[in-house]
Amino acid sequence: MSLGQKILAYAVLVAGSAVLLFPLWWMMTVSLSTEIEAQEAMGSSEIRVFPSDPQWGNYPDGLRQLGAASGVLADADGRVEIGDPWGGFKDALANSVVITMLVVAGNVLSCSLAGYGFARMRFRGSRGLFLVTLATMMLPHQVTMVPLFLLFRSLGWVDTILPLVVPSFFGTAFFIFMFRQFFGQVPEELLEAGRIDGASELGIWWRIMLPMCKPVAAITAIFTFIWTWNDFMNPLIYLQSPDKFTLALALNTFKSQFGDMNQAHLLMAASVVVMLPCVILFFAAQRYFVQGLNVGGLKG
Amino acid sequence: MSARQTSNAYAFIAFPLAVLFVFTLLPTIAGLGLSLFQWSGGQEWPAFIGLTNFRGLIADERFVASLRNTLIFVVASVPPTVLIAFALAVAIDADWFVGKSVTRTMVFMPTIVSIVAIGFVWRWLLDAEAGLLNWLLGLVGVTQTPAWLTDGWWPMAWIVIVSIWQKIGFCVVLYMAALGSVNRNLYEAAELDGASRLQVIWHITWNQVRPMTAFLMVTGVISALQVFDMVFMLTGQQETARTTVLNLEIYRQFTQGSYGYAAAIGVVIFVLTMIVTAVQLAWFGRRGARA
Repeated sequence: MSLGQKILAYAVLVAGSAVLLFPLWWMMTVSLSTEIEAQEAMGSSEIRVFPSDPQWGNYPDGLRQLGAASGVLADADGRVEIGDPWGGFKDALANSVVITMLVVAGNVLSCSLAGYGFARMRFRGSRGLFLVTLATMMLPHQVTMVPLFLLFRSLGWVDTILPLVVPSFFGTAFFIFMFRQFFGQVPEELLEAGRIDGASELGIWWRIMLPMCKPVAAITAIFTFIWTWNDFMNPLIYLQSPDKFTLALALNTFKSQFGDMNQAHLLMAASVVVMLPCVILFFAAQRYFVQGLNVGGLKG
Repeated sequence: MSARQTSNAYAFIAFPLAVLFVFTLLPTIAGLGLSLFQWSGGQEWPAFIGLTNFRGLIADERFVASLRNTLIFVVASVPPTVLIAFALAVAIDADWFVGKSVTRTMVFMPTIVSIVAIGFVWRWLLDAEAGLLNWLLGLVGVTQTPAWLTDGWWPMAWIVIVSIWQKIGFCVVLYMAALGSVNRNLYEAAELDGASRLQVIWHITWNQVRPMTAFLMVTGVISALQVFDMVFMLTGQQETARTTVLNLEIYRQFTQGSYGYAAAIGVVIFVLTMIVTAVQLAWFGRRGARA
């Protein structure tokens, strides 16, 4: 590639990344603004590249407000009168971490298991069964929401984390499909070798398939993490006690309490903090999913 | 496959699937069944009314418009997203490219940012009075611009564009993982045969990532047929006959307490998705076998 082409490619890249990073930059700008500046930015009347006087104090204030939004009483300045001012935030953080970790573990294990079955085992009805699995993705959430809620209520699971966590241990059609697509590319010889050595199907899945498919497992883990971490719809439906709220649900509660936008700077500061684990995780974990399937194992 | 292996296979899939079906298939069936009833969500039992809801749909102009708009959205947004993502992934994957990890993170960013922030930012960018886009157009002398989010088909065009912008990072990431598993020997062989760069990309790379393209197309269409947030946020909940989509009509019927009617629209989405998915899987399956 010539120098000119490279320069052109980087120019396109810089322009493109400006568009891509715009929302994030905007969130940062508002989160560091004073209340009045934030209102101006929200009201579209003025475009600021960066606040002249960054208000770092918005961050602790925003997080305390976020915690307060999940139930603990706060006065007008966001100071919590009873107990630990950080209590609400700590609770929500702990709830988010526990739920997200459980869902990630459940999804990776169960989806890779079912994906392996669909990719490598031809049996009567496998295509039909696969289509039925996909069918569970095809009905809008709004339609299944009511029957699902009635099901969980009859199980007595409302206001526990069970409706959020348990289904993931039994797979999500989306990731089962993804594992199936990747597992289909693993050379058959490897599996045959495993079978000749007397490994069970379960053993092949655990000892051959999973280690070879680190990229898929990493992608599943990252996206499950992001979607679970950010999901507020399901926690909104199933969690009722404020001390069980997740960060996303607290954020949403915070947002609807201050719909008039006069707290936009605090809301954005809290949003940035809630988003941060996803950004860090993605940046740190990307090396796992770009290395490709570990087909080097074939050489031995 | 021997009988023993077959029973093995069933046992293998049975465990995750059995309960997947309990938690998603049962509610799906219940949701589908609801379309044959009239129910306002209260304490009384739903009343069976047969196909009345579906007859109502045919006469419902808003529904017909939403069906048309949804199909436009699917066709205009999904294939471009997948194709652009493929091109980007190939470019970032190129050996000479410096700054891979930073670029990947940037491309991925819109996927992480909450839809609420996305709605704010884009509404502001496209604002008629103070929007950045009109300001930029003004710099190059374009002063007569449509109201991007209300005039004619412009809102739908922007819904498509913003949706591509948001979804592309996800597809790039998956393509990069797929590219990582392409057998490098194939590239060397093609270079020895004197293939040009574009020929290599088209004949080898594109063919090798076909399972991933199939996955992105199928799941992309499934989720595009259910598009909701993007329209809701960009139109500021003021959807018109040119922006309303099927899932928004479901939402509207739900908030008005017409659960059975909403479920009937859900059935339309379901059947539509089923057909398109079966066709796509068959197509990709056949092409894959030939390749």
